[in-house]
Amino acid sequence: MSFGQFRSLQVRLAVRLAVLYVAAAAIAVGVLVYQVYDTAGSLNDRELGLRAEDLARALVADGTGQPRLDLPAKLAAAYAAAPEDDLFAIRDTNGRVIAASPDEFGERVAKWPPATDEPSYFRLSGAGSEDFGSETYYGLSVALQTAAGPMWISVARTEGSDALIRSILREFVVNAIWVSPLLMLATLAIGIFAIRNGLKPVREVSRMAASIGPDATSVRLPEQDLPTEIMPLVASINHALDRLEKGFAVQREFTANAAHELRTPLAIINSALETMDGNSELEKLRTDVARMNRLVEQLLRVARLDSVALEFGTVDLNKVASLAVAAMAPWAIAQGKAIAFAGTEWPVNVKANVHALEDALRNLIENAVAHAPAGTEVTVTVDRAGRIDVADRGRGVPRKDRENIFKRFWRGAGEKKEGAGLGLAIVSEIMRAHRGSVSVAENPGGGAVFTLSFPPLQTGDSKIARRYIAGDAA
Amino acid sequence: MRLLVVEDEPRISEIIKAALERAEFAVDTVRLRADAREALANTAYDAAILDLGLPDGDGLNLLAELRPAGSRIPILILTARDAVEDRVLGLDAGADDYLVKPFAMSELVARTKALLRRPGAALGTTLKAGNIVFDTIGRDVSVAGVPLQLPRREAAILEHLLRRQGRVVPKSVLEEKLYGIDDELESNAVPVHVHHLRRKLQDAAASAEIHTVRGVGYLLAETKG
Repeated sequence: MSFGQFRSLQVRLAVRLAVLYVAAAAIAVGVLVYQVYDTAGSLNDRELGLRAEDLARALVADGTGQPRLDLPAKLAAAYAAAPEDDLFAIRDTNGRVIAASPDEFGERVAKWPPATDEPSYFRLSGAGSEDFGSETYYGLSVALQTAAGPMWISVARTEGSDALIRSILREFVVNAIWVSPLLMLATLAIGIFAIRNGLKPVREVSRMAASIGPDATSVRLPEQDLPTEIMPLVASINHALDRLEKGFAVQREFTANAAHELRTPLAIINSALETMDGNSELEKLRTDVARMNRLVEQLLRVARLDSVALEFGTVDLNKVASLAVAAMAPWAIAQGKAIAFAGTEWPVNVKANVHALEDALRNLIENAVAHAPAGTEVTVTVDRAGRIDVADRGRGVPRKDRENIFKRFWRGAGEKKEGAGLGLAIVSEIMRAHRGSVSVAENPGGGAVFTLSFPPLQTGDSKIARRYIAGDAA
Repeated sequence: MRLLVVEDEPRISEIIKAALERAEFAVDTVRLRADAREALANTAYDAAILDLGLPDGDGLNLLAELRPAGSRIPILILTARDAVEDRVLGLDAGADDYLVKPFAMSELVARTKALLRRPGAALGTTLKAGNIVFDTIGRDVSVAGVPLQLPRREAAILEHLLRRQGRVVPKSVLEEKLYGIDDELESNAVPVHVHHLRRKLQDAAASAEIHTVRGVGYLLAETKG
């Protein structure tokens, strides 16, 4: 398994940590098992050594100087009790068997080479033998000094005699193996938990970084409480953001200046064109200049929106909307279209910047009038809930375009290239600055309705509500 | 008719001058507040167009000097949007109207004409729109030279629409005008009078018509074409 496939630092660290834990645990268990087996083995050897010494002590010389085994009653009983489990054979230095239990063992040992001072260990298989059954024996042969002179003593016991200790060991190993996946899961969980906690400040920083955009270039990532390994990265990002913000400011300033500088020469061209006597070419030229004028004005509005924080006051939507309708009416009527306003009886107060709100409404009304068929009416309606609807009887906005039309420089397929595609983007940005929104829907009976929605003002502001006279139906 | 334009930016000043001259006004331009003060003292202008941000001071100060001295010359203020003061918005400073930069030259000309159509101003005695002529002294209305008899209330509405032609006159403003004539005003008096007036103008083949801006008011504009 390649760790490269894990993109998350958290998972990578946790998995490596868990593997490390389990490997360390396996080594520790292995060493422990080896030590225990080793100790068990040497205990066995010592036991056999002690038996050999016991036998040596029991050897005496009789009156003729012949060696004789004189086992204490206790030992004799022990050997007699299990002659097939505990074996011994004693030889003199000539290889003659002096004593053995059982005799069969003595016969075998008689054929063995001489014993040495250092104990030599042997393994003896009794398979097929009448006396030994099918047991396997483990034993030692050693040369020891006795009261009857140097003797060669061999002792052995069945291998199964340390079975208990070995089965305990086996159980321990099996348990250790069985527990290891649990151990692995536990370390993985603990590791993930610990790493998650440790990476919390990093996630916090990521969250903040996600909020950075062209509208929020002043956001900086917090450098406190961060792991020192990540500090340099965050500091570098913050420096990069500083440079970006400066770049944005320069760009905005440039847009504003360029638009501002373009305004005067455009006005001059416009004015000069107005004085000329018209043919169709001149008419086209005038339209082009008017379009350019509009674009420049909208660029200026965009630049202003981008760079200047809006000042807010309490504004009655009826007042702003009726003034906007009155201001746009001469132009709309000159286009052969009607325009109407429907207000509410009481003021609908919202927190807003009057100029920005005027701009937004003006753009929507311009848009509606431009798309309305001649002879139809564009209606601007204020709703008690803090909404202004601008409705027309044009072709409407296809459902699939309803999100896109609020993007800068977006233009629907087949649309006449009248504007720069900035008007609705400006409206959208103005409404965002007001914590409100703009949306478009279908006008029942045909056409489009654009809706400006404002967040409700806290109650109390409208207590001093005054009947709005201009809101009466004319 | 002679107008004074006080504007420090030479190209803008030039454009304003050209636009107003096309509308058959005589135009003088000055750059500084001091020059404006002198020009106003020496020449009887019919109206002045005043930019607020002048190199030698705020144009509002000039107004503050003129009005107490008894000058009633109609003044249209030009100001950048970012510099719109509440004082200007409320016209407390003594200005008659204001335009926020940037503005269309046609708008400037229309506003200037509207100022001159006020009672007492240069165009205030004889009001014209298309082939409609209203002599405010004799209270005589004619369409294409043919006298048109109008009741007092309809004449009052027409006079006001003519003075503010090309702009929307709120219904509430027309109601106020009628209150001076009629103490007991029906709630639908204005729409009814406008309806009659509109028909009479149509019958007389007037080349200007009254448009309704539902919910706001009325607008009189010359008929296109």
